[in-house]
Amino acid sequence: MLNIVACFKWVIDEAYIRKGASGALDFSAVDYKISDYDRNAIEEAARLKGLHGGSVTVLTANAPEASKGVKDALSRGADQAFFAGDPTFNQLESSQTASILGEIIRSRIPYDLIICGEGSSDQYAQQVGPRLAENLGIPCISYVQKLTIGEDGRIVAERRVEEGVEVVEAPLPVLVTVLPEINIPRIPGVKDTLMASKKPVVAIKKEDLPPVGAALLQTLGMTATRMERNCEKFAATPEGIAGFVEALQKRGLIS
Amino acid sequence: MDFKLTEEQELIRKNMREFADKYVEPIAVEIDENSRHPAEVFKKLAEGDWMGIPIPTEYGGAGSDYLTHILAIEELSRSCASTGFTVSIHVGIACMLVLLNGTEEQKQQYLLPMAKGEKLGAFVLTEPGAGTDVMAATTTAVLDGDAYVLNGTKTFTSNGPTGDTYMVFAWTDKAAGRKGLSCFIIPRGTAGMSAGTHFRKMGLRSSQTSEMVFKDCRVPKANLLGKEGAGLVMAMAGFDHGRVGIAAQSIGIVQAALDESIRYSKERIQFGNPISKNQAISWMIADMATELSAARFLTYHAAWLKDQKLNFSKEAAMAKLFASEAAMRHTIKAVQIHGGYGYCKGAKVERLMRDAKITEIYEGTSEAQRMVISGNVLR
Repeated sequence: MLNIVACFKWVIDEAYIRKGASGALDFSAVDYKISDYDRNAIEEAARLKGLHGGSVTVLTANAPEASKGVKDALSRGADQAFFAGDPTFNQLESSQTASILGEIIRSRIPYDLIICGEGSSDQYAQQVGPRLAENLGIPCISYVQKLTIGEDGRIVAERRVEEGVEVVEAPLPVLVTVLPEINIPRIPGVKDTLMASKKPVVAIKKEDLPPVGAALLQTLGMTATRMERNCEKFAATPEGIAGFVEALQKRGLIS
Repeated sequence: MDFKLTEEQELIRKNMREFADKYVEPIAVEIDENSRHPAEVFKKLAEGDWMGIPIPTEYGGAGSDYLTHILAIEELSRSCASTGFTVSIHVGIACMLVLLNGTEEQKQQYLLPMAKGEKLGAFVLTEPGAGTDVMAATTTAVLDGDAYVLNGTKTFTSNGPTGDTYMVFAWTDKAAGRKGLSCFIIPRGTAGMSAGTHFRKMGLRSSQTSEMVFKDCRVPKANLLGKEGAGLVMAMAGFDHGRVGIAAQSIGIVQAALDESIRYSKERIQFGNPISKNQAISWMIADMATELSAARFLTYHAAWLKDQKLNFSKEAAMAKLFASEAAMRHTIKAVQIHGGYGYCKGAKVERLMRDAKITEIYEGTSEAQRMVISGNVLR
């Protein structure tokens, strides 16, 4: 029986972010979602449970509003959830998230396999997975695009690395961080969503946890990127075309 | 007063949005062009329990409420009004008729497979000479031993060519007037019942519409839905439910028209500026957004009343009337905003404008809605 834990972050859906005046980001009409690759993490947990049996626990440390995200995660094949909800958990930095998740898992959730998304849709720092593995003292396999569990109970993972695919193997327990290629997350059906509300959610208060350390990194500001757009026009004449080719060469776009 | 959807409703709505973006939007142009019923989409809708949202689980549904069903219809219609409508008439009228009036056996035999999405329901009332004037229908059902024998011709039957389970209305006692119409559940393949070929329509083209012909069609007594003579009352109650669905379909159309108009008006440059900077355009969009909100509140309120088990007949008619007329008004404006590009095949607003028109006609014309509303307020 495999105990699988899938961690997720409830993030701003970037499709709703608007650019305000002077490049500032306007978050006034945003909606939230489970971070994209974390959906892959939950899906992979549910897939492996389908193959090997066991249980799937989803876990998040977030603002209290993420209760909707907990239901969303539970509608994707998980059996139970652990939810550390606190207003101060809204803007956690990676090291803080990893230490909170590590504390909860170590003290409350039996685990063989922990799955995280490779990075979050908002910050994409790719820190929580490896830091959590470090915190728990277990191996971490990152950039995973395929995951299998052998009969001997060892895990085999395909890692997509720069120049190819690396296949690694490790004994459980292990933490993996997954890429979107690993699976196609389901679209939960109506009953899945309705049943999610009936599944157990263990609420963890901030007071039940050791004090969270200071952030190692601080975000000082965030603005939209400014793209420089240049437009040069060339006439459809032999001179114009020669000028066009020269301009492309000058920018190194053709040689 | 609480204007907030539940977390479940918000999630279900979002899931339908994703479903429609993934499976429906990419084929919407093709199924419109070819008048094709997308069976593959309906198989997926069935798998996700979208074909019986407000039907209790013991009868094959998802066991949710009517408002949640309405949210799903709205989101589905935003991508394809035909697909949204097919689900709406299947759930809102066919399934609801059996749920509200059927015996336990009828619910197990007919409602369960419909609510699971294994069978598609159809509503067979309109005749060539009997549209808004239901009483002018001529199809008869004569009791002969243990069966009723149906004869007559119906028309504009949605899901006619593709349906599995037909709710058919016929006179068991024409002389009894309003108490002489009865409803029968007739499964596809019953001898004497045949569907004509799919009509070629201006819009809503992938929704399959045809004549239905009944020629000495023998229907066992057990297939009588409700009491003999209760047909008209059941049909009107069915319309109440269906109309909220058409209102939701209309909202989906307006939302799509608004989305397209915002996107295009910000991109389209004329006289050196995006046309959204022109007051003539921005005011069209303001009106569109405002009436969309108004239509949405009317529609959700009607569905909410239904879920509270309160009378919602008048509110359903108001929601349907306002939302469908808003859909027509604003899809015309959306095409106007798009100019020549909006008049060409392939522009979403062109399809939206054609699809919008039927919402003012079926499940009671705008005129019929005004009859219902005025009848209620002038009482």
